[in-house]
This record gives sequence, C-alpha cells and structure tokens, in this order.
Amino acid sequence: MFASVLTAAIHGMEVYPVRVEADVSNGLPSFTMVGFPSAQVKEAQDRVRTALRNNGINLPPKRVTVNFAPTDIKKEGAGFDMPVAASVLAASGIISPNVLEGVMLAGELSLNGEIHGVSGILPMAVRARELGCRYCMVPYHNLREGALVPGLEVIGVRTLREMITYLEEPGRFRSDVAYEEESCVPNHADFSEIKGQEGARRAVEIAVSGFHNILLIGPPGSGKTMIARRIPGIMPELTYEEGLELTKIYSIAGQLPEGNPLIRSRPFRSPHHTCTPLALTGGGRNPRPGEITLAHRGVLFLDEMPEFSRRSLETLRQPLEDKEICLSRAGGSFRFPANFILAAAMNPCPCGFYPDMNRCHCTAGEVSHYIGKISQPLLDRIDICTEVPAVTFSQMNQPSEGESSARIRSRVQHAREIQLARYAGENISFNGELQGRQIRKYCPLSPEAERLMSRAFEKMEFSARSYHRILKVARTIADMDKSAQICADHIAEALTYRSFDKKYWV
Amino acid sequence: MEETHDSIIHCIDRNSREFPEKLKNIPNSPKCIYYTGRLPEDRSPTIAIVGARMCSTYGRIQAFEFAQFLSRSGVQVISGLARGIDSEAHKGALEGDTPTFAVLGSGVDVCYPAGSRSLYQRILKNAGGIISEYPPGTQALPMFFPARNRIISGLADVVLVVEARERSGSLITANYALEQGKSVYALPGAVNDALSQGCHRLIYDGAGIAYCPEILLGEWGISKKNNKKTQEKNKIRLASDMKLVYSCLDLRPKNLDEIIRKTGFTPGKTSSLLMELKLLGLAAEVGRQNYVAINEYD
Repeated sequence: MFASVLTAAIHGMEVYPVRVEADVSNGLPSFTMVGFPSAQVKEAQDRVRTALRNNGINLPPKRVTVNFAPTDIKKEGAGFDMPVAASVLAASGIISPNVLEGVMLAGELSLNGEIHGVSGILPMAVRARELGCRYCMVPYHNLREGALVPGLEVIGVRTLREMITYLEEPGRFRSDVAYEEESCVPNHADFSEIKGQEGARRAVEIAVSGFHNILLIGPPGSGKTMIARRIPGIMPELTYEEGLELTKIYSIAGQLPEGNPLIRSRPFRSPHHTCTPLALTGGGRNPRPGEITLAHRGVLFLDEMPEFSRRSLETLRQPLEDKEICLSRAGGSFRFPANFILAAAMNPCPCGFYPDMNRCHCTAGEVSHYIGKISQPLLDRIDICTEVPAVTFSQMNQPSEGESSARIRSRVQHAREIQLARYAGENISFNGELQGRQIRKYCPLSPEAERLMSRAFEKMEFSARSYHRILKVARTIADMDKSAQICADHIAEALTYRSFDKKYWV
Repeated sequence: MEETHDSIIHCIDRNSREFPEKLKNIPNSPKCIYYTGRLPEDRSPTIAIVGARMCSTYGRIQAFEFAQFLSRSGVQVISGLARGIDSEAHKGALEGDTPTFAVLGSGVDVCYPAGSRSLYQRILKNAGGIISEYPPGTQALPMFFPARNRIISGLADVVLVVEARERSGSLITANYALEQGKSVYALPGAVNDALSQGCHRLIYDGAGIAYCPEILLGEWGISKKNNKKTQEKNKIRLASDMKLVYSCLDLRPKNLDEIIRKTGFTPGKTSSLLMELKLLGLAAEVGRQNYVAINEYD
C-alpha cells in the first residue's frame, strides 16, 4: 500500500517542500530509503522501527520503501523521523492514508517514542501556510515557534502515541500554551552608566541613526566595549515583520531562546577574535547562518579587531557592501541576509597607549604592523571612526548620570522616521545604505557646504569612496538636525568622523 | 631599471678631492662613501636634525618648523630618513630653499624604511643627496645605525636633538658630535615628558637650548634676513565661537571630549568648529579627534 506526507527541507534560508512517500509491499522484509537522503536521514529507519516497536506497534514483515521527492535536493537533519514514521504507519495500514492529506510534519524521534524539537520550524510553518496545508504537526517543544504564524493551525506532540492520536482526530488537540503579550523590554545595559565620553556618545548616536558602521579606537579600559554593548539599546525597536524575519534566521540556526521564541530585540553578536571565516559568514555543505547573518538588523561587534585573522576580516568586505552574503557550495548557492551595523573596537597599538608617548613603548614598526593587520579596503567601509580617550578620575566620580538610552533612542527614532519617509520609493531605509546615484539625489549640499567640501577634498586628499561616506554621514547629521539640506556644519562634523586613515596615524 | 642621472651611484674614497672636508677630520672617518644625487656643500652652513622615531606631535611640528626655517635661511639639513623626527626634518627642509641630505644605514639604493620612499625621491628631486658608507645593495641592519650616526654629525656643523628618550639613538649622534667637536643643541620640552628626557639631559650636560630657530643661526653668524614667520601670521578674523575653541588648543594634543567640556558646546558644534580651524590651517588633527594648534593668528 502507498501513502505520502509532506515535510520540508531547509537549504540556506530557503524552504523546499519534500514529499515523504512510503510503500509497503510483499517481498523479502527490508527497509530501503531512496531519494538522496543524507546519513542522518538514513538513520531514521532504525529510530522509526525501534520507536514503533517500543510503543507496541509491530510493522508487518514486508518490504518497506521510503522515497523523498523531489530527489534532487539533499535531505538533511533529524526532522524527517516523524514524517517517515507517519507515512510508514499509513502505508502499512495502521492509520488511514487519508489523514495525512494536507498535513506538514517535522520532528525527531527518540527510541522510546518521544518526539524532540528540531530547528527551522518557523520557516517550515510559513511555507505550510503558503502551500495551503490543513495544519502543521511539530514537536511540542517547537509549538510556540510554529504558532507565531497567523492563520495556520499548529499541533504540538510529545510522543509517537500522541502523533497517531492527533493525526486521526486533529480536532481533539487543545493548545495549552499561554501567550503572554510581551511586556518585558529587553534589558540592554543603559547608556546612563557611561560617564563622560561625549564625543564617542555622539558618534555612536550618529552611527545608529543612519545605520553606519563605526570604529572605536582607544586605550585599554577606556570603555569601548561598554559603549558598544549599549548600541542595541538605542536602536529603534524591531517591527513585527523584522522580528519574524530574525526569528526565522534563528530558527534555522537552531538558536531560538526557549519559552519565548519570537525575537523582539535587536541582536548583538560579539564573536571572539579566534572566530574562523566560516563561522562569520556561515558555512557547511548545507550552509547554516553565520555570525553576520545572526547579527542581521542588529550589531556585529568585533572587539580587538586587529586580533582577528586577516581572512576572517576580509570576508566581511562583500557583505558590508551588499548587505547579504552569497555562499556557493557544491549543492548550490545560498543567500543569507546580513544587514548589520559593524561596530569594531581596537587599541591603537600593541600596548594600547599610543599616541600617549609617556606610556606607549611600542616602536614605530610595531604600531604600523598592528594597524596594518586591518586592510585599508575594510577600513574604508567603516563610515565613522572615533577615538575613545581614557576616562579621568573626576569624570568617573561625577555624580550626574549620563543621558539615558531611552532619550537617545527617541532622537534616533526621529531621525529614522525622516529617513523612512524620504526613502519610501527606494528599496533602502537608511542613509548608510545610499548608493552612488542616490547619494547625488538625496544629499544636496548648500553652497557653503559645497565650498567647505572642496577645500577639505584638496587638503585631506581622500578617495572617491571616502568622499561618498562623508556625504552619507553628513546626511545623517543633517537629519538629526531636522535639516533638509546639508549645511557646512554638518559636513564639518562628518569630516571629523571620516574613516580611519593609516597614513595619518604613524 | 634605466639609469637616470639621479640614480647614478658615486663612490669616492677619503683621498679624493670631492670627499667632504668635514668628514675627513673626524675620528674613525669612513674609508669611502657612496652617494647618489649630490654631496653637501662643504662651505655652506650645515645642521643635523635628529630625534626619536616614535615622536610626539610637538616634536614633529618643531622638527618641521626648525628645518623649514633653517633651510630658508640657507642652512643644509642632514638627517637619517628614519620615521618620526628625521622624516619631519627632511620634509621641513624640502619646504625651504636649501637642499637636504639623508645618511642611511643601508646601501644608498635601499630605501629604509620602505615607507619613506616618496621622501627619498623628493630629496633627490630637490638637489639633495643620499649618502652611505655601505656599498649599494646592503640591507639595513641594526648594527649599522650607530655607525651611520657619526657620519650624520660629521657632515654637520651643529647637531640639533629634537626629541629623545633617556636612552636613545639620537644621544649617540650627540656624543659623536661632541667627540668631533661640533656644537650640540637640544629642544626643550615638558619636564614630565618621557620623550624630552634625553634632551633635558643634554641641556644639563651643557648643550645649547634651541628655544627658537633664530638662535641656531648665530652659530654661523647669519643674521635673520626677514622673519617670514611674522609675515606668515594669518590675518584671519575668527568668529567668537571659533576663538573660544582655538583658545583651548595648544601644542599638546587635546581630545574632542576635553574641548567639549571646556567650551560647553555640543559635540556636533565643537567638531565642526575644529574642522574649520583645521581647514584654516590653525589646527591640526593628530591621531583621531586629537587636535593641536599649529599656527598663530592675528
């Protein structure tokens, strides 16, 4: 007898529906799996057979053939156990094949029949709704995640027995998951804890307002990391769509937080400097999202940037331009979103105190070698560069608190709304994403600003790329000032943040 | 590579007529020297400006200004093409009217450090010369540098040490100069500045205090033709806000935050005023967002 059920395979960020077909016929007892299953998926037969036997269901001693269609996609992951079990049960007549019509299943079986959670449930459920499935059956562990998709019934099951019960009578399922409306504001550390550092605060606010990348340079202990960690707290809140998009990414990466799967706060990823290039970009034969994708719509913070391997850093160049990464593997090419703010922190020299010559004892060669670990093309992509000086005792002990994150965020929100309105017809939403033609269109300079820019261009000899970067930052500063035109003051300020130039360092 | 006039390497030995007179009389005089471009004029006044590679902005600016002033007054500036003070001295001299000369610790065709290549070219283009006692092709080795210093001081009448830590290669040059009977001057700095300790030590030991470039001219009895510096004083009217920001600046680098606190302006306003000052040539940015005053205005 033949039966089939729907499940899904995840390739990169794409979800492909896969039909699991089972046939039980006369012949020598065997269990064959065809249709390009990976080793993990092939193991499903042992898990399924044992789990069924341990639940008192004995498969008839017949020839069982399972096929995964379409056969051209490699099937990977443990989520195929449940659909294999369901289709085999239906094909051997234990449940009716009709109950599997219009159902999408995914889940991992344990030998005693328990069903474990798998990754990628949210994008699967979204696909199930698009395909018009009656309902989606997922491990109980993933129920909240699946239930995020509006207009789709999702059933969570704990055991093989429950699976059979609810497959036969889906109406009996009562979801007992409580959906507390999210009230807990993500508790990012607050900017009010930072004393002094007015210059760095301002630079960070500009960076966040226009979605610009930022580099913080300063001696050890000056607060670079502290400042960077507070960046997500001043970013505008995620919209529901953005949150869902992020939840999808984290679902595929298998990194959703327990209990509250919908991601509501902007990610802050801070990979250690031993991070490999593949961990940053995403890797594997069937690539998983890397750090840059996990930092999508949030912050990728590289602390001690010169300590990262050159290869890791250079991989960032293309995603920083394109806001996504395209990985090509034997199995095809995979696109992952990677629209993040790059925040980097570094010491100015190996000992960390340059240019304070009373404390720095590095040689000129050491300093330039240290700075040289970061390539100029990468530095060129960082729009804002600011120095974070060491804090003095009097600053540290001043009683007044710094400005709070909430107040900064409300200003950021204003600047963001101005940008959203301006770029309504374009496919961008921030000044940091402006491209060549758009820069000319949206960055009109006042005559005075024009003069200043031409003087600066001659005097500081910067490249065409840094010229455009300065215009974008000036655009953001003007927006924060609620000015439609870019004035001389805005240009002048943007010039002080221009990207780091090694030439003028040592 | 095609041999141009500039890249011809000459070798002259001590007995040659061309051999610099000043170098013949020093202890341990080199047997022969190689040079490309020209040799310093024997009869022209010559000064060696030396100092730390890792120098402060103060030292950098002073080295440049001293060299520029002296070069305009007809003094040949000699240094070692190293990073920091040496490079600034060459750069300053290139802005003057008199050729400048570099003495290397490697073959004259080996530009060390490689980052000074453009400076190397500019020196040759401006009728200056590159000098070394090592045959062409010799790579720079640490042990060559102290020996090279005796040639730097030997070619000069006066040695000016701009910035030096207490144990610095520049002090070796100063010692050679004393051995060779040349005058030594040192640039004073702040008492608590590690980079000025070597200079202060020299002053204590009897070196001249180079508190302004004019006093160095006295060594050759040159009187100041016309003080270009006063001529150059900027006749700029500054707005009061900008005056306030400018008044916060001095020769030590000030961070943006310090200036913000002193003026009470917003970060945005402060940085745009600083950028204006920079473009007017009154301030310079050293490192990122650290500023110094570099010129006076009227």
